[in-house]
Amino acid sequence: MSNRRCFCVSLYGLPADDRLNMKGDGPLRLGETILQAENLTRGFGVGSQFTLAVDHVSVEVLSGQFVLIMGPSGSGKSTMLAILSGLLRPDGGTVHCLGENIWAMSDVEREQFRLEHCGFIFQGYNLFAALTARQQLELVATWGNHLGANEAKCRADNLLERLGLGGKEHLRPSELSGGEKQRVAIGRALIKNPNILFADEPTSALDWAHGEEVVKLLRNLTREEGATVVCVTHDPRLVPFADRVFHMEDGRLVRQSYGFMSHPEEAIVTLPEPGEVLPGPDDVVSFRPRIAP
Amino acid sequence: MGYSLTTLWYERQRYFPAILAVGFSSLLGCLQFGLLLGLFSIVSIPIDNSRADIWLGAPQALSVDLGRPIRESQAVDRLASNPEVDRCETYLQGFAYWAKPNGGMELCMVIGCRLDDQSLGRIKQLTPELHHQLTEPGSIVVDESDLNRLGLKQVGDTAEIVGNRVRVVGLTKGVKSLAGPYVMCSVTTARSLLRLMPEQITYVLGKCHDSADAAKVVARLRQAHGTDISVFAADEFSFRSRWHWLTKTKAGFALGYAAVLGLMVGAVVTSQTLYAATAASMREFAVLRAMGIPRWRMSVLVMSQATWVGVVGVLLSFPGIFGLARVADIYGVQVLLDWRMLASVSGITLVMAVFSGLYALRSLKHVEPALLLR
Repeated sequence: MSNRRCFCVSLYGLPADDRLNMKGDGPLRLGETILQAENLTRGFGVGSQFTLAVDHVSVEVLSGQFVLIMGPSGSGKSTMLAILSGLLRPDGGTVHCLGENIWAMSDVEREQFRLEHCGFIFQGYNLFAALTARQQLELVATWGNHLGANEAKCRADNLLERLGLGGKEHLRPSELSGGEKQRVAIGRALIKNPNILFADEPTSALDWAHGEEVVKLLRNLTREEGATVVCVTHDPRLVPFADRVFHMEDGRLVRQSYGFMSHPEEAIVTLPEPGEVLPGPDDVVSFRPRIAP
Repeated sequence: MGYSLTTLWYERQRYFPAILAVGFSSLLGCLQFGLLLGLFSIVSIPIDNSRADIWLGAPQALSVDLGRPIRESQAVDRLASNPEVDRCETYLQGFAYWAKPNGGMELCMVIGCRLDDQSLGRIKQLTPELHHQLTEPGSIVVDESDLNRLGLKQVGDTAEIVGNRVRVVGLTKGVKSLAGPYVMCSVTTARSLLRLMPEQITYVLGKCHDSADAAKVVARLRQAHGTDISVFAADEFSFRSRWHWLTKTKAGFALGYAAVLGLMVGAVVTSQTLYAATAASMREFAVLRAMGIPRWRMSVLVMSQATWVGVVGVLLSFPGIFGLARVADIYGVQVLLDWRMLASVSGITLVMAVFSGLYALRSLKHVEPALLLR
């Protein structure tokens, strides 16, 4: 327990359960709603070219969950992620994240909200070619968190070490493998301690060996750090790692399922009640979402 | 600064055209203005080649060759009354018409100064042999490069200046002329050639016990006499004379225009290169925007890159500037690389590079994080 708690502190600067504190009326507890979207719609094009990419979709994501949004190409899952993460304004519906209606905010307020609470991982690594792995993280820490150079470097090195990139801090993207680059991208998303991490096809450019590493990493973030991960993918191999899966087709939410059902032997039954404050990090690790009746 | 420099170095091939363009602008500007200064330094030859520390003349003297008559006794008294001044002497300079022996007229610049060994106004090209020969009334010395222009063939030839017969008693070397050939003679001869009254002179020259005191004496005289006189330290008057011709003539405008064209070429190439480099990092910037990093942070990065492109370009241009100036000197063309001119052109080039960065900022407007999710 003490080791794990130390890790939490070094990675995020705060214990996992403290990190879930949020704006609003008090601490967010594991298993409480962190993201709630209602009746979302979003179309593209005009006239005969008009396409409804998201068609009256409602979802709810609980804190500490690893959630997948799945569907074939053109199903609207990436558009859904863009709307949920505050990057693309919906034509209709609402998104409440950490209790705040993000699409009722001004652009500046929403930008500040993303800065304080959201991390992003994209399909392409989108790393600056000229910067080392450490600098990619430092850039966000100094620009986003206003950290001093030494503190940013320390935090970046700690995070890279935890992501299995110890000794590779000085390498540039061209000197890293695909999996390593994606881990740097994850580090870049994590360094400013987001409450919720949005990932768009984070494994699609990787072979399965590297892809599995990345998925386990994301899942462990939810288990060990109490972070919430919302991930878009079309790869069914990610399902066993997920707590919850939203299936989309033609812009509609057609089904919800629970990823661990594919691995029933891993199912943990010590479920806390929603709203229950967990006594310690060990319980965070053993947390699994409650099964819907 | 660190990220922009790192990017600049790592992607140097991408930024090289911009650096080259800035360097080219700086080189062209410095050489153009250096040529111009070299050309107009001819105007200040009487100052630069004399030994005077202080020049005192008529009010609002724009250039040494545009001096107007002043009263000798009053001017000498004013300068000599300063304890730092060791000695003073009179000096005459002005334009006159030269009648060529075989017909035709030419504008010439008459310079009359004392001819003893301690003379302050005597230019260094005037050897002791020559100034001894100039003591004879009506005798003059001209530069060998001006013989044809003055219609002369050799030493001993005669001509007329405003009705006064003059005889060439010797030749100098390297005293180039611009508006009119220099005609050097004694104060007495010059007074008649310039049709000045006995009490009239053009300048009083002063030599200080310590040349470093010149600025102090000049400041004191200006405070005491205000706009009644013009008084300058030698360096200051030299620069003022050149600057006057630089800004007054079409030649200055033409060369300046060419330099501005060079700057514009530099600006276009630099801005396009920076724009392309910024556009190439659009997706990386989009990730930062998605994470809520404010746009101004990226703007600062681009502006910082633009500034560094400017600094590196200007620094790289300097070896070229000095090398080409040396080559020009070998072929007899003077390129005067005054530090003030170099600093000004470098500053303007840097500003150009920074403005190019402002243009490149337009590409940041297209950074849209949602694009990464489509």
